[in-house]
Amino acid sequence: METRELFWEITSLGHTLFFVVAGAAMAVAAAGVAWHVYRYARARRSPVPVHPWRGFWRMVFDVFTQRTVHRRDRRAGHAHTPIMYGFLLLLAATSIITVEYDISEPFFGFTFWHGDFYLAFSLIADLAGLGLIVGVVYMMWRRWQVRPPKLAYRREYRGETETRPDARAWEWDDTLFLWALLLIGVTGFLQEGVRLAMDQPPWGPWSPVGWVLAQIFLGLGMDEAAAAAVRRANWWIHGIAALAFIAAIPWTKAKHIIAVLGSLSTRDALALRRLPKPALPRTAVAEDAEPEVGFGSIAEFSWKDLLNLDACTKCGRCHEACPATASGAPLSPRDLILDLRTHAARSAFKPGANAAALIGDVIEAETLWSCRSCGACMEICPVGIEHPPMIVQMRRQLVEDGAMEQQLRDTLDMIANRGNSFGESPRSRGGWTAALEFPVKDVRAEPAENLWFVGDYASYDPRNQDVSRTVARLFRAAGLDFGLLYESERTAGNDVRRVGEEGLFESLTEHNLTAMGEAKQFDAIVTTDPHSYNTIRNEYPDFGDVAPIRHYTSVLAELLESGRLTVVEPLGKRVTLHDPCHLGRLNGHYDEPRRVLELIGCELVDMPRCRDNSFCCGAGGGRIWIPDPVGKERPAENRMHEAASLGNLDTFVVCCPKDLTMFEDARKTSGHEGDFVVQDLAELVAEAIDLKSLDLKEVPALVDRITEAAATRIADTVADRLAERLAETVTERVLSELATRAPTLAAAPQPAPAEEPQEQTEATPTAGPWRAAPASAATLPPYEVPAKEGPRVLVAVKRVGELNPDFAIDEAGGTIADEHFEYELNEWDEAALEEALLLTEKLDAGEVVAVTIGPEDAEETLRRALAKGAHRGVRVWDESLRDADPVTVARVLAGVASQESPDIVLTGAQSADLGHGATGSALARILGLPHAAVVLGIEWDGADAMTVTRELEGGMRHQLSLPAPALLTVQTGGNTPRYATMRMIKQAKKKPIAVVDGAGVGLDQAGAVVRRLYEPPKSGRAAMIEGDAEAVAKAIADIIRDKRGEV
Amino acid sequence: MAGILIVAEHFDGVLRDVTQEMIGAATEVRDGLGGPLAVLIIGQDVDALASAANLEGVDEIVTIAQPDGHFDPALYEEAVCAVAEARQVRLVLIGHTAAGMAFGPAVAARLGSGFASDVFGLSVEGSKPIATRSGYGGKVSMDLAFPDKPVIVLTLRGATFKAPEAAGNASILPFAVDLDTVPGAGNHIDYLPAPPADVDIGKAEFILSVGRALGEDKNLPQFAGLAERLGATLGCSRPVADSGWLPKAHQVGQSGTIAGNCSLYLALGISGAVQHLAGMKHVDTIIAVNTDPEAPIFNVAHHGACVDIFELAEALEREFN
Ligand SMILES: Cc1cc2nc3c(=O)[nH]c(=O)nc-3n(C[C@H](O)[C@H](O)[C@H](O)COP(=O)(O)OP(=O)(O)OC[C@H]3O[C@@H](n4cnc5c(N)ncnc54)[C@H](O)[C@@H]3O)c2cc1C
Repeated sequence: METRELFWEITSLGHTLFFVVAGAAMAVAAAGVAWHVYRYARARRSPVPVHPWRGFWRMVFDVFTQRTVHRRDRRAGHAHTPIMYGFLLLLAATSIITVEYDISEPFFGFTFWHGDFYLAFSLIADLAGLGLIVGVVYMMWRRWQVRPPKLAYRREYRGETETRPDARAWEWDDTLFLWALLLIGVTGFLQEGVRLAMDQPPWGPWSPVGWVLAQIFLGLGMDEAAAAAVRRANWWIHGIAALAFIAAIPWTKAKHIIAVLGSLSTRDALALRRLPKPALPRTAVAEDAEPEVGFGSIAEFSWKDLLNLDACTKCGRCHEACPATASGAPLSPRDLILDLRTHAARSAFKPGANAAALIGDVIEAETLWSCRSCGACMEICPVGIEHPPMIVQMRRQLVEDGAMEQQLRDTLDMIANRGNSFGESPRSRGGWTAALEFPVKDVRAEPAENLWFVGDYASYDPRNQDVSRTVARLFRAAGLDFGLLYESERTAGNDVRRVGEEGLFESLTEHNLTAMGEAKQFDAIVTTDPHSYNTIRNEYPDFGDVAPIRHYTSVLAELLESGRLTVVEPLGKRVTLHDPCHLGRLNGHYDEPRRVLELIGCELVDMPRCRDNSFCCGAGGGRIWIPDPVGKERPAENRMHEAASLGNLDTFVVCCPKDLTMFEDARKTSGHEGDFVVQDLAELVAEAIDLKSLDLKEVPALVDRITEAAATRIADTVADRLAERLAETVTERVLSELATRAPTLAAAPQPAPAEEPQEQTEATPTAGPWRAAPASAATLPPYEVPAKEGPRVLVAVKRVGELNPDFAIDEAGGTIADEHFEYELNEWDEAALEEALLLTEKLDAGEVVAVTIGPEDAEETLRRALAKGAHRGVRVWDESLRDADPVTVARVLAGVASQESPDIVLTGAQSADLGHGATGSALARILGLPHAAVVLGIEWDGADAMTVTRELEGGMRHQLSLPAPALLTVQTGGNTPRYATMRMIKQAKKKPIAVVDGAGVGLDQAGAVVRRLYEPPKSGRAAMIEGDAEAVAKAIADIIRDKRGEV
Repeated sequence: MAGILIVAEHFDGVLRDVTQEMIGAATEVRDGLGGPLAVLIIGQDVDALASAANLEGVDEIVTIAQPDGHFDPALYEEAVCAVAEARQVRLVLIGHTAAGMAFGPAVAARLGSGFASDVFGLSVEGSKPIATRSGYGGKVSMDLAFPDKPVIVLTLRGATFKAPEAAGNASILPFAVDLDTVPGAGNHIDYLPAPPADVDIGKAEFILSVGRALGEDKNLPQFAGLAERLGATLGCSRPVADSGWLPKAHQVGQSGTIAGNCSLYLALGISGAVQHLAGMKHVDTIIAVNTDPEAPIFNVAHHGACVDIFELAEALEREFN
């Protein structure tokens, strides 16, 4: 009967030995699996929901179709498929034999491995083995002959000239993996060949490869003895190789065979589209437990992340797709994953013994900051690794530690303070609509079908404002009803979240959701910004109800298709389209912009990297706020070359505001200025429908508006004038009346004009008798002051207003309205606060109390101080203090100090708004404290004296010692103030703030009164050079050359 | 008695310019306010200082011997208050300097006087002084009055008022105050000179200065390269030095270096705070580039432009390539 002998000429000792080795191999493999499972079980829970069963079927589909392996590398896919199937079938074959030999026969006396089944078995196993060998040989050829760059581990992007030891280990891993497979396959066939040569059964051709080999051996004259010798030895080689491979599976590259089942099954359908909220600690019981910050050590990775790391096959597809890697930034997603995996394994083997810091030693901060969160890596990963969420988790830690670049920090501050990344006034957010011919609805005041969420770039960037207006006109022309949130809109937060500033993201989300909730009725949201689109669509729902959102490309496609916009003349342009990462790859809208292009009659030629392989412009993930190093090729420039290589292009079409900014710039810097233009899709649509010829004005409404505006203006002016005139005439009349009626009264002081507490003209040159009247401390209502535990540092902080560019002075009132200011913490106070924190940290004792004088809004400033580490806050306010002078402010602060009895008082050297540079020194005098001003450094051990370094003119410094307690006014530059994340700011809500209502003083001791507030005269101002940077550079060059000629 | 009292500022035996400038400012208002005009010198070698302060318009020079001669705000406050009270002066002028900021406001608080700081305009209206100062980085000016104040303390901005050139013939009046037991006085330790550096802003003829607009140290090479290409010395405003992006020696201004020999100053992304202007506003040709059309730097610049400094740097680079 057709079958074969399993243990030919194997002695019973050999038999036993074989089973011992096999058992050991299985045990090693099982231990490896158990070890991994144990690690996953101990790791943190996944911050995103995992649906393994839903994912399971997709995984089965992906594995058996090898869909993900074929993508963007068909040959590797074609080679991998027979390897995988070959391996699986051979594994199955071996298992079948084991089942018969070890189970069914000994226990049930039942055999099946014979006859037709055996013949089919032999044929399939032979073909599987053949496939395996062919696949492996191709892979070897590819790896060592073709040498695709994505398989090289030397980090040329980091300037490495030598392969690092870890990477050499990876090379060994790859090499052994391939050779092991080849060895198993080849020895298997060899075994079959000699067996068939010896036995020559009639069914030999059912094992075609073995049969051919047998014929060859026989043809070469192999005799029985030689064949038997080979058969005996090779049996062991083959067997041990196969068993060793089994043992090695969980420990080597082969582990992906198992890990991939998990990583593909647990793929997060929303990965990167929706980043995880910070997880609660594993042990959290209380509801108000503080969530984790981010990943600061490998122990903070979730089991899903660890599984991802283990699944990596080093295939290099992410390395190839990453825009950061491509532009020479210090990041390769592949290397990131491999470094993390190596570190994770080391830490798991020797917990505690591995002192390497995750961020810094293993992964450098600059690597993390290089990510554009474009999703290209995870999108192409055949085993479902989700790199960007891990990167963001580590960035969260960096943000928490304040370890970020200055510009990013400033931008985040700006967003926190003003709600936009441009540092512009929130009030001018809707400013771009002013130049439209028609009014744009304010959804806060009247309902509209669509709420247009504009986003920062489309609101504030001049080039994008043009596009926004075009889109508005298109909507208008199509009769689409829309409105804006105007200044109630803030940055949507997509990129803020990807930078890792989760707290700020949450507060932006909260703000925008509230603004939407408070707005009048609207049915849907539209936006031109794919970043806002992504976060509002995928992330906002985690925080509250939100209307469905559409990207304007879908809206335009629909308007054109339904005929609400009609193409007048097809454009006939040859264009290419850049798929924005957040629109295409992340949200799958590849076709809508293409449909629009088709409808307006453009010939679309796609770039080689399009759709899911679109190449990021480089702006994502907050990178637009971090400058790229000068000199290196930026991703956007790389993209421009790609577009130019298409040839004869008219237009490079974008449909994302950031893309417009990035590519407009890159087109110039990459030298393709003459090759094509960069335009927004909307601009092409406008051209195609001849938007210019349409009359969009709503004449009656406009007339109404003009009349209304004119009427208000006239009424305002007339009212003022009238009041003035009335006052003058009445006063004149009254005075002359008085004069005639009672001549003696005429010399009495005139009624003070309403505008100013103006001093009165006096006959004598002195203002009363000379007297010194020392300023005194305010008597404030007592508030609860905890008992002192260690030294107490009192820091005065102030929120300072910065004037908007379009501010106006109300000269009559001598004031500037609040709306012209943006507020932030005074930078000198920030330095003082930092100094205070450093002092207590160094002493490891005591508390920092921050005090501010300001209205309720100013509490945010105080909270910022608390977030940075101050222990308590005190806020004093009374309306009478609104325009208080430094002496009055000092008196109020003295009132606080007398309740606090601090050991050191710190203030800023001056405030950035009014720049008196006086409050601190006046306060010191009122409190009778020793003091120094413009201080750069303080050394104090808590004892009776401190050493103070104060700054003099010209960079000279003066060191002196002062008795404690003392007051110091702090200069910037002596320290680097720490960053307070929004999370820390929120946490600071738990810290106490005592609110003191009342000033405790009048303005009687005020040093001065403001007589007049005005803009400085414009005479003598610079002659302004008009034009763009190019023109200005020319003019400046002329001045320089001219000057040089003189010198 | 009445009159004006100017507190002389000096360092290392040399009178600081702001002292002479304050004398100039005082002579302008002396007639309106009434004299005498006295200069108070507190220090070690008061005679030498007195002769430097003896300028046209000064009536008296009051001297107080301070044995160790190192500035201490507590001693200055004590001395100035004593003299002001004894002479019942109407106006005390102090320099708005690191020292002035330390004791000027303290004197004002102690006397309960009228007070204004960083004053750059002084006038008299109906025999009463009106002080002009600015706010919001120089974007707003304000006139201040001091109703009902028998005495007024002002700290005056340096490099603003014109010093008299001619010598005067003031009488010298020594004044005795006990400076040995002033509470709150400190103990001098040492002076730390600015660290040596390989740039000399004071000598440079052509300076290209960058301000906070630089944003981050990574952007520095672009401007350092540009400066080199243009043959300019690289200067900066304080925040750039504070952040450690450039050594302190590059900082132009009051607490940095005065661009004493400069004839062409290119200010990129600098708002024009008074302390920065102190170091460069005298320069012959100033070109300022700032995206904010209201930036006060344009008040002192001769040529200005509102463009992005990064774009400009690239354009200039091309222009000189
Ligand atoms: C005792 C004391 C001494 C001091 N001494 C000095 C000193 O010696 N020197 C000194 O400089 N400062 C000094 N200061 C600090 C001074 O008050 C200011 O804080 C400082 O000068 C501000 O520097 P800046 O103009 O660079 O920054 P900012 O005032 O922040 O101005 C930055 C400017 O750049 C513009 N800008 C931003 N981005 C761009 C862009 N992309 N393109 C073009 N323009 C842009 C903005 O519109 C803004 O006007 C001192 C302060 C004190 C209290």
